[in-house]
Amino acid sequence: MADNNNKKPMNRRRFIKTSTAMIIGGAALAGLGAAPLLRSQTDLLRPPGALDEDLFLASCIKCGQCLQVCPPQVIKLANITQGFAVGSPYITARAGGCILCAGLPCVLACPTGSLNHDLSEGKDAQMGIAVISQPNTCLSIAGKNDIPYRINQLVEDQSDKEKTSQVISDMIKRLTKDEKETFRNQFSLNDIETGTIEKLVSKLENSDLNWLKDFTDSAQFSKIGCRICFDECPIKSEKTISFEEKINSKNAKTEIWPVLQKSCVGCGVCEEKCPTTEASITIIPGKKWQEVQA
Amino acid sequence: MSKVKTFKGPGLRIENSPQAKHRKNKWRNIRWSILLFFNILFFASFYFDIQILEGSLSASRFLGFHLIDPLAAFQIILSSRILMVNLVIGVITIFIIYLMLGGRTFCSWICPYHWLAELGEKIHLMLKRQNRIKAHTFDKKIRYLFYGLFLGLSFLTGYTVFETINPVAIISRSIVYGPALLLIWVSALLVFEVVYSKRAWCRYFCPVGVSYQLIGYASPLRIKWDKEKCSNCKRCQTVCLVPYVLHESVNKDHSQYVDSGACTRCGLCIDVCDDEALSFGLKYLDKII
Repeated sequence: MADNNNKKPMNRRRFIKTSTAMIIGGAALAGLGAAPLLRSQTDLLRPPGALDEDLFLASCIKCGQCLQVCPPQVIKLANITQGFAVGSPYITARAGGCILCAGLPCVLACPTGSLNHDLSEGKDAQMGIAVISQPNTCLSIAGKNDIPYRINQLVEDQSDKEKTSQVISDMIKRLTKDEKETFRNQFSLNDIETGTIEKLVSKLENSDLNWLKDFTDSAQFSKIGCRICFDECPIKSEKTISFEEKINSKNAKTEIWPVLQKSCVGCGVCEEKCPTTEASITIIPGKKWQEVQA
Repeated sequence: MSKVKTFKGPGLRIENSPQAKHRKNKWRNIRWSILLFFNILFFASFYFDIQILEGSLSASRFLGFHLIDPLAAFQIILSSRILMVNLVIGVITIFIIYLMLGGRTFCSWICPYHWLAELGEKIHLMLKRQNRIKAHTFDKKIRYLFYGLFLGLSFLTGYTVFETINPVAIISRSIVYGPALLLIWVSALLVFEVVYSKRAWCRYFCPVGVSYQLIGYASPLRIKWDKEKCSNCKRCQTVCLVPYVLHESVNKDHSQYVDSGACTRCGLCIDVCDDEALSFGLKYLDKII
């Protein structure tokens, strides 16, 4: 093109030819160069039934139909900031895990089979595997119950009323008969039905929360370590988490560790529900149980 | 009424009709309404959960029937090397629908990018009238190279490369699921069209449209040209989105129908024709019906 500068303006046909060649060449180079980069992202948690990441990216048409039918609405579409798998569906476990709902509507909605139609039951999915990523903060290992911990969180931030109701109702479920009586008397409640609790939650003050904290600290259940990941796991037919005793080599104390079993599918509900400020249990997307064991 | 203009050409009418008898912009208004209707239907199906047209323009379900963009489907088949039944059904359904409706009707009647590009074209023409920009053109055959290129890239890389930059899919997804960052790329494309080359993406590059163009060559729904009524004013070619498609009929008298698959059946030429020499017709079927 340089020698054209000396001559008359480039003639039209030649311009068309060179610009065309440049565009085609540029597009081809960009495509070939960008493709490995576009595929490089592997740490997105995919909906149940997703093929292996490479094949998933090759076959996903990015239409979002899985997202549209998701009952808990936990599926999102990746933006360019999420590692270039633009438009493909993923789940942020901490914001909301997959509940493996009956019939797996996302799998049925997928027009390309990126979510494999052979999968018919949630318990056979292989989304990833949960691991205890932060043993230091895990309440079970520390031998602490979750209710006092969660009430303490409410003392610091009580803006989420839904969360408050959840904590209170979780607490009530675990109280003994006598403790329920004490609780009712403290707040002069006639019953402990949902409606009454909702009303209570709307006017809870920090002094009330402090009372609740002391109350739950001395409650019967407080001797049992946190079991939230186990309780909330959507797979009920098989044991996905067992609690095993381990001796801490440093102080020779017996700790109770949650140990993930082979039947974990990596749905992410445990990560979502884990009460610690940063989830102590997290999902490694796409990994299998055997791989993590090694 | 006072002055009679005459033009050269194959049309047989001597006088140009000076007054429009029919409503101006009739087809454009119908077309834009339908385009907005379907794109809003995509949005509403999800947002208000009315579930009529679920998905986006890459793949959707209309009342339960799979609809799949042919180019996206071909890319997936090449990149994944899997032939999925729903994919094939969706493409065949699209093929049948657009065989009846005219192929590139997708572009001007459904595609949200095309609509933005049409608005961009108006700005482009305004700037050009003010001599603030120069118009540039490319070879219209580039689109076939792009089509082959992106299909080839799918096969070589095992990844649907084009779907990452596909402006039609990006806009459609943004309408249904909320704006995505890639709209920046789409905006850049629109700016390029406004300041450099009129509707360049649709005219020279868009491989999505090529699938529909190929269907368009076989579709009987075409623009019909009535030689008896035409006074050769050529106004149709000044408004046409793809001006060369009218040549074979209006200039050369080779065919009574606009036979090119590149014709988007937008109806702008019908709107502008004061002689009412242009209309929608069904080639092969007009006589039977």
